Amino acid sequence: MAALRAACVAALVIGGAAASSALAAQPPQPQDEFRPVGNSPAPEQIPAAPLLIGAYVVVLGGLFAYVVGLSRRLGAVRQDVERLESEIKRRGR
Amino acid sequence: MPKWFTPAAILCGLMFVISPVLIARAPDEASMGMVYKIYYYHMPSAWMFLLAPLVCGVSSAMFLVRGRPGDDRRAWAAAELTVLFGALTLITGPLWARRAWGTWWVWDARLTSSLVGWMIAWAYLILRRYGGPGSDKLAAGVALFGAVNVPFIFISVNYWRTIHPPTTVVPKLRVDMGVPLWFCVFAFLLLFMLLMTMRLRLEETRARLDDLYVALDE
Repeated sequence: MAALRAACVAALVIGGAAASSALAAQPPQPQDEFRPVGNSPAPEQIPAAPLLIGAYVVVLGGLFAYVVGLSRRLGAVRQDVERLESEIKRRGR
Repeated sequence: MPKWFTPAAILCGLMFVISPVLIARAPDEASMGMVYKIYYYHMPSAWMFLLAPLVCGVSSAMFLVRGRPGDDRRAWAAAELTVLFGALTLITGPLWARRAWGTWWVWDARLTSSLVGWMIAWAYLILRRYGGPGSDKLAAGVALFGAVNVPFIFISVNYWRTIHPPTTVVPKLRVDMGVPLWFCVFAFLLLFMLLMTMRLRLEETRARLDDLYVALDE
């Protein structure tokens, strides 16, 4: 009986601790509006420039790499098509 | 390529040259500062990341119903663009979040469902590449799940608790912040159409190549 009571108390304590830590871990409220900066600039804890430049480099570089890769694939397949077409024509003669 | 392709490609290139100028002239955001400007490429990438699986899913459904190879090729092209724009979204998002939220990633509904959508597109491509005969229909089934996930990604920020900004931030943007955003959205939309056309042409040329190999063997 005492063991059961101790188990119940332990479960309550652990459950309460888990619930409180879960509540504490809840993310802050999202920003529901973007406002332009006023006269005073926003405080910068983490430098923004490397993140901003990195994001634009990733997007523009990624798109450029994809376009180049796609053009190369298309060019290679077209070359194969032309080669086979000329082969078929040659055999047909 | 169709006649409109070259003028559209030139226009798209010009828009991508002009867009950084417009973004640079837009004001910083009050609480996030300069890093907010990642939004001007992150959000259009994310919208293309939502558009591509819808195109893939609808084309796959049409392929399953009608069995036309053209629908299948369109679905394949759109799946590849889902992976491309998904990668851009999932990289630029954390770069923004690091400064805005103080963390690279949170396992909330928006980010997790986006990651799932991206992995579904990868599953489609892997199936097409290594699935062997019959993988086209199996992949089409996977694409339907990818398309069903899209509305969930979109509304997730409005219904579940998250620190990701909700969809309502877009209509509330002031003009000097909204104009560069919509300019970038149209640039990305035009780019999406151009890439779809190119990727579709690749599949059509591959189909022609297969036909030629068959003709050569006969």
